[in-house]
Amino acid sequence: MATTTTANHAEKAEIFCRDETRVDWHSKALWLLRQKRDRAASSLPEWEQLRELGSEYKLHTLSHLGEYLEQFEANCVKQGIQVHWAKNGEEHNRIVHEILSKHQVKKLVKSKSMLTEECHLNPYLEQHGIEVIDTDLGERIIQLNKQPPSHIVVPAIHLKKEEVGELFHEKIGTEKGASDPTYLTRAARQHLREQFLSADAAMTGVNMAIADQGAIVVCTNEGNADMGGNLPGLTLHSMGIDKMVPNMEAASVLLRTLARNAIGQPITTYSSFYHGPKPGGEMHIIIVDNGRTKALQDELLAESLKCIRCGGCINTCPVYRRSGGYSYNYFIPGPIGIAVGAQQDDTNTTAWACTLCGSCTYVCPTKVPLDKIISYQRRLKAEQGKLPYGKERYMPMVGKMMGSTTMFNCAMSVARFSLRYLPHSMLKPFSGAWGKYRELPKAPKTSFETWYNQNRSK
Amino acid sequence: MKIALFIPCLVNQLMPQVAIATLELLEKLGHQVILPKGQTCCGQPMTNSGCFNEARSTVLKLLNAFKGVECDAIVCPAASCLVAAKENFHEFDDSPEAQAVINKLYELTEFLHDIAPVEAFTRPFPHKVSMQMSCHGLRMLTLAKASELMSPGYNKLEALLNKVPAIEVVYPEPHDECCGFGGTFAMDEGAVSAKMGKDKASAHANTGASYVVGYDPSCLMHLDGMIRRLQLPLETRHLAQILNEAI
Repeated sequence: MATTTTANHAEKAEIFCRDETRVDWHSKALWLLRQKRDRAASSLPEWEQLRELGSEYKLHTLSHLGEYLEQFEANCVKQGIQVHWAKNGEEHNRIVHEILSKHQVKKLVKSKSMLTEECHLNPYLEQHGIEVIDTDLGERIIQLNKQPPSHIVVPAIHLKKEEVGELFHEKIGTEKGASDPTYLTRAARQHLREQFLSADAAMTGVNMAIADQGAIVVCTNEGNADMGGNLPGLTLHSMGIDKMVPNMEAASVLLRTLARNAIGQPITTYSSFYHGPKPGGEMHIIIVDNGRTKALQDELLAESLKCIRCGGCINTCPVYRRSGGYSYNYFIPGPIGIAVGAQQDDTNTTAWACTLCGSCTYVCPTKVPLDKIISYQRRLKAEQGKLPYGKERYMPMVGKMMGSTTMFNCAMSVARFSLRYLPHSMLKPFSGAWGKYRELPKAPKTSFETWYNQNRSK
Repeated sequence: MKIALFIPCLVNQLMPQVAIATLELLEKLGHQVILPKGQTCCGQPMTNSGCFNEARSTVLKLLNAFKGVECDAIVCPAASCLVAAKENFHEFDDSPEAQAVINKLYELTEFLHDIAPVEAFTRPFPHKVSMQMSCHGLRMLTLAKASELMSPGYNKLEALLNKVPAIEVVYPEPHDECCGFGGTFAMDEGAVSAKMGKDKASAHANTGASYVVGYDPSCLMHLDGMIRRLQLPLETRHLAQILNEAI
């Protein structure tokens, strides 16, 4: 097992669970999104067909990714968009910095982009003297709170409105004690308006890149990407190679499921298609690999690249809702975070932060087989000898015991005897987490096999 | 029909009453039932942990117990173990003999609903039962439509239970959220597992039901431990136990 000072998933989750009222609040807030999603999805009779279509479009694109990326680049160039390719996060950050310094950018407004989180762009630019302002309300809240996102769609879901009120009072001068969401949102809007007007460049993430159009789609509810994209002359858009779709038909299928599956909205308030720079301006697209090509080489891991980052799997996940977004040791939490990030978790535990219930797979609008991928991530970890929770010690013994009738029956007779005749208060300390939280099983006198031999055997 | 019972280790060792009810029920329905010797665990604790090498001998031992056994169906009263057995047999043995075993594997509900349908149950069970829609039976064996799907609804459990006179079937809210057992998850992630179990047990209690009824003994064992810890006025029952009393 790797030696590490980072707390593992179970430890972080245990700390999160200590405040049960907060866990209940967190779980309920996210379940509400799942319920809204169910209502929105059920309003479309063709919902399951859309999921199938979405999955097929993404699989098709991924299996012809090289062609589509080249087609996309050619069409972008035709429209005056400058396209850059980045092998990894470092290259991405360097390219962004080069573009910004060429234009002497001092302040960059940025709308929601998980890719820039993945590449750690903000600290990189700040180190180089460029101020970065996240303009999505949730993102701005956590940026002011100096925290990473705890969810990919609702990044400040872990904070209560009272906490946001306190933060805003301290950082942007709202009234002390004010926690009315409308009041706080208006204050944030005013604060962000000033940022937009004083910014030298804008940056957005990309929800879809349409190959035959040379266009990108950016979805927000607050219009902040468009505020940024339409103010200064210089705009940058970062995308992973997995954002590619062939055409408008594919994009419209995914647009129909994206917001419905995320938060139960028919469509995001702003779904903007950017086709080229403003007159006299510059538009740059940075296309990032950062490990995606490697994932593509594995038939099962490749399916994780079908993900459109709606966050539906995170909302439904019973473990995420009760362990919080900061328990996963990766910038994306929940099922999709495990599916794409488990190999980078050096505590080797997040792959096991899942009961394999499969709800995520059934919720997913592009049918990413999340539970199968998570299970596979465990297998990959096991093959590298990176097992958590003492499994590398006890699993071979369990395998040996269960492979032997005598050993297994012997052990279980002892267990039944102890459970029947010894006081449970004496056994609980040896039963680990089971007895800490639950009563021990009531044990029967004999096994079924013994009963069968006495009652049925000829 | 001639039926071979697949009784997973947990049921054999700790919940024999579920196996006895399954056996008696199938016999009362006129089937000839046998218990092939040498059965063990399906290997799920190991394979779900990623430990495939450690699972091999256990899985092959279980498979060998069924190879060459003359029967029309192999029936198991534990959905999760059945799914794991199917997957693991396939993983470790691709012979036609292994496939012949896999082709005969049925979970009890599947068998009673799809393969040898039961007309009616005669004895009333005048109680409210809250359904424990365990994950693997629901999403891997598709015993009912999962709440995430928007396709037309069906429910094999309810179809069977509704044949029992005077029974009232209700559901906890949320309808089919995981109970938090998850095998070794219950030990590895004790706090989250227990919170899920607590929420699930409380949701069952909130229905006002007297019994929690399900098809997966491991989830029922988890809930039972939680129900007794919380001192809720509930008891767990396997589907086989309800049906066996009602026939």
